[in-house]
Amino acid sequence: MTAASPAAGPAHDPRQEGAERWWQRFPLARYVLVRLVVSVLLIWGVTLVTFVLTNLVPSNPAAAALGERAASNPDTVKAFERQYGLDQPVPQQYVSYLGRLVHLNLGQSTQTHNAVWDDLRSAFPATAELAVTALVIAAVLAIVLGLAAALRRGSILDQVVRVGSLIGFSTPTFWLALVIFYVFSYKLGWFPGSGRLDPQFDPPPQRTGFYTIDALLAGQIAVFVNAVEHLVLPAFVLVLYTLGILTRFCRTAVLEVLGNDYVTAARAKGLPRSAVTRRYILRAAAVPILTMIGLTFASVLSGAVLTETVFAWGGIGQYAYKAATTLDLQAIMGVGLLIGIIYVVVNFIVDLLYGVLDPRVRDR
Amino acid sequence: MKRLLTTIVAAGLAMPAFVACGGSSSGGGGGSTLVVDDQFDLKSVDPAREFEFTGNLITHQLYETALTFKGSDVKKPVPGICDYTMSFDNKVLTLKVTGKHTFSDGSPVTADDIVFSYQRVQGIAGNPSFLLDGVTVKKVDDKTVTLTSKDPNPQLPFILPNPSLGIVNSKVLQKNGGSTTAKDSAEQFLNKNSQGSGPYMIDTYDVQNKVVLKANPKYAGTKPAYDRIVIQNVQASSQKVNIQGGKTQMALSLGPDQVKGLDASKTQTIKGASTTTIYLWFNMTPAYGKAASNVKFVQAMRHAVDYNALLKLAGDGSVQPGGMVPVTFLGALKSDPNNSYDPAKARQLLAQSGYKGEPISILYSNDVGFGLDDQAQAIQAQVKKVGINLKLNPQPSATSLDAFRSGKSQAGLAYWGADFPDPADYLVFAPGQSLAKRAAWTAAQAPTSTQLATAAGQASGDQARDAAYQKLQQQLNVEGPWIPLFQPVDLLVAATSVKGVALNPLWTVDFGSLTK
Amino acid sequence: MTITDPTPTETAPITDRRRLVRWPQAWRRPLTIIGGVIIAFWVIVAIVGIFWTPYPPLGQIAPRLSAPSGEHLLGTDSVGRDVLSRIMAGAHVSLPVPILVVALSMILGTALGAIAGYFGRVVDEVIMRLTDLVLAFPTIILAMVVTAALGPGLQNAVIALLAVSWPSYARVTRSLVLGARGSEYVVSGRLMGVSAWRSLTRDVLPNILAPIVVLATMDIGNAILLLSGLSFLGLGTVPPTPEWGAMVSEGVEQFSSWWIATFAGLAIFSVVLAFNFLGDSLRDALDPRAQKSVEGRAV
Repeated sequence: MTAASPAAGPAHDPRQEGAERWWQRFPLARYVLVRLVVSVLLIWGVTLVTFVLTNLVPSNPAAAALGERAASNPDTVKAFERQYGLDQPVPQQYVSYLGRLVHLNLGQSTQTHNAVWDDLRSAFPATAELAVTALVIAAVLAIVLGLAAALRRGSILDQVVRVGSLIGFSTPTFWLALVIFYVFSYKLGWFPGSGRLDPQFDPPPQRTGFYTIDALLAGQIAVFVNAVEHLVLPAFVLVLYTLGILTRFCRTAVLEVLGNDYVTAARAKGLPRSAVTRRYILRAAAVPILTMIGLTFASVLSGAVLTETVFAWGGIGQYAYKAATTLDLQAIMGVGLLIGIIYVVVNFIVDLLYGVLDPRVRDR
Repeated sequence: MKRLLTTIVAAGLAMPAFVACGGSSSGGGGGSTLVVDDQFDLKSVDPAREFEFTGNLITHQLYETALTFKGSDVKKPVPGICDYTMSFDNKVLTLKVTGKHTFSDGSPVTADDIVFSYQRVQGIAGNPSFLLDGVTVKKVDDKTVTLTSKDPNPQLPFILPNPSLGIVNSKVLQKNGGSTTAKDSAEQFLNKNSQGSGPYMIDTYDVQNKVVLKANPKYAGTKPAYDRIVIQNVQASSQKVNIQGGKTQMALSLGPDQVKGLDASKTQTIKGASTTTIYLWFNMTPAYGKAASNVKFVQAMRHAVDYNALLKLAGDGSVQPGGMVPVTFLGALKSDPNNSYDPAKARQLLAQSGYKGEPISILYSNDVGFGLDDQAQAIQAQVKKVGINLKLNPQPSATSLDAFRSGKSQAGLAYWGADFPDPADYLVFAPGQSLAKRAAWTAAQAPTSTQLATAAGQASGDQARDAAYQKLQQQLNVEGPWIPLFQPVDLLVAATSVKGVALNPLWTVDFGSLTK
Repeated sequence: MTITDPTPTETAPITDRRRLVRWPQAWRRPLTIIGGVIIAFWVIVAIVGIFWTPYPPLGQIAPRLSAPSGEHLLGTDSVGRDVLSRIMAGAHVSLPVPILVVALSMILGTALGAIAGYFGRVVDEVIMRLTDLVLAFPTIILAMVVTAALGPGLQNAVIALLAVSWPSYARVTRSLVLGARGSEYVVSGRLMGVSAWRSLTRDVLPNILAPIVVLATMDIGNAILLLSGLSFLGLGTVPPTPEWGAMVSEGVEQFSSWWIATFAGLAIFSVVLAFNFLGDSLRDALDPRAQKSVEGRAV
């Protein structure tokens, strides 16, 4: 927001009565700036909380990483602590962590012996592919179902959608994943049960990190088909779960719009139903629905933790679980930071969107 | 659905066989791919740093060791890169390079490489460093190396086959950050470019998902039957699906319950005695052990546990050893009446111990397999019948190990996997030694056991050692805090098309010796 | 601040007490009846389970891993315990504990939210950023780290769940209080010299209680899912205590024995569904707008 600089208003005469400060003249810029500062603080808070929590664990990471013999030898323990920077006092560890963060250095994982940054870079696309696929499918279905249900409020369809979405988010994801795996992979053998590709395939050359898209870009149709087959079951679990939440929300959002006078007016004018739906209802409901979809992304990532465990998906969820149970401090910090940033960025965009669309918000 | 998608691909592209299933499609130069499913505990494939099951499995295929074991026999070390002679006092072991051995870059394996590899393991101070504790490595000439130990070290020939002691190409490694000090930084390089003289070399390495090995063209031995090995990280449940569907040729993580009902016409199940001992332990210092620190109480426990029921739970092929040393090793105790199910005797001993039914907290790791959760619950139910009240305390190994190693926990259920197939690995259970410290058991508390342990460590010659270790274990079963429960069974499921599979407790399987 | 806050303009405080009269009608809806029946069923099962189960839930008496039969209606588990008996006994943990968690987080969250909303400014900013912080973590990962820090066990699982579930109450309460704060009856009360605390507890809180209760009802399902999710990951109850999530996790190990995980999972599903049915009807009856914030969270 370069416009936020005081020099941006040369035509303005400061001597005029009630001279405005720049932030009074550009409330939107001020709003953006404040949100930005809050977001950065929030991310810093995330690192602090993860760091404090992981250091509260009443155990030494060396215990989890070293064998019985090595742990009995003080030299080995010392070497381990030096390698992972655990020999410094705890506050200093945090300071040096922040220092390294500036260079995008997230430290080294005690489990994979890789740089956490590299681990995240290879694990995140896996989760993202799963989550985005599930979210896109769920969002499209949810808008269609939610709209249909709201337009025919009280009909059989509405009731079915309503009960269906309640069932959707009442299902324990980990259990559903298990049942789906048992039936469609173990018993029927229709779909592969674990991983992202069959072993005979090598991952396509990485561009987006999404195997499906990368395979298409590289023209490897067989790899693409295999990647899709692997994606079906875990994505189905996540879709079912997300669909419940989103459908309910879409239905409510549309119902709220329907209650507005301008919709009634448009209908009274004799506009065709489809035109009213498209031009008035969908447009008005789009913003809340889109933001809800954005916010659901974070919860889909959560759902992925349990789903990935069952389907051995090799994404962030599995990485986080392994890191948490083996006290891989740097890895836990890395995952916390990544998810925190995603959440904060999504929220930031949502807030911005609201600020732009609804002037009342920024004036508050 | 699956079939539909596959048909579309086949029809639309008329693809050549991109699937190279072992045995079925051996077209071309006779090589083919072997796909192996494993549940990874992988951290590294740098021999000097890895000390995990998956790490051993992979490293063994990449690096030859000075001495090795053949097939599943771990009772007799045989020449690998070297032949060996041991001095009379078991202190000086001389290695002599025999035959032709070449690294994957074509250069020959020399004494320099052996010295560098061993000193690197020592200098890095990592998990496997203890293997060569107290050993001085010295080059004599281009083909000869001596390993001199401070104390008699009759177990050294059994230690050298460990995959962590694989011989690396010292010249290449030194150019890529390799060093024999803590400054060594060659791990990342080795994870991508293996530098060994084994039948395989690293093709691709993804520590979390998949490791691919390719045949080493410069390998001096017999060319392996499979020229590509894919080892992938897969949950046990999917491993069963994969091997039954013919997608993979080996499953390494199936348990005894899970191999039931496998199609015998398509798969073979190979069983081996594992070298892991599952045992109960009790803190012998009253401040921490409370009621459990009483020897009579431990003895009562020895007779309260129904070992056969535990074996049934652990699955066919599991065995109860007489002492901590696995039954297949030298010095093993086949059985000991001190560890036998006898509720009447247990009640009697319990009465003598003065135990009043206070809860005994049993610490164990609930994420390490071996069915510890089930075993702990079974033991709890069994000993309750004689009036012993156990309270289970399961934790992820990250916290349970630390609690265990503090030496302040009351009691627990734990496992010990042999680091090398020799009873000397079990001296840590003698009073005052590293494991005994976990149970706060000191030499002063048990002078007889201490004496027997010293004698066992110094004994020379197979017969004398055998007798000395048995005697030690019998004494441990009287006054010690350990109750050896069982050795689980090692299982490997392979497609029938894969021949010559031998299950080795150290590195699971040798891919180079497989046939078709 | 995010979209999960219903903006104050949307949320009029419920002053119309006549709405309560409509409760019976809501109770007569099929969803409510189904939900009520299922919950009543499980409550009865739990009560019966105190006095009688077909077999002792901890008794390792039958052949292990036997499939459902006349003798063991739902089969046996990996150490030979009757699955039906364990599911019955599991209701003693899986039902009351999540309700306790919800009650506690409702109290904590409502208190913090009310303070934030009523006093505004710095207090508001601090509390709301705190909720942001908690919500920035995926619930299950945060709960995982908390239980890792405290050690597994039911008590610590409750603390972990509490730590992750109070913010949604705080947010809803805050926005409701913001709405109520400006209303005439509160302002006039303050003008009459009523203290801030008294005004908050007497005038504001009772009027925003209904949406909070709705939120809590819908949240019980969530709490059950979270608790069983933690147990599934081995971070919840300690064996041999029967718990549904832990039983599902056992089914992962023994995947050939489908009955272990299936029935325990069905138990979780049915209870969660029942509470969601009830919550849904309650919301319709009391406040159609409180729902949004519950649904943003996930297991």
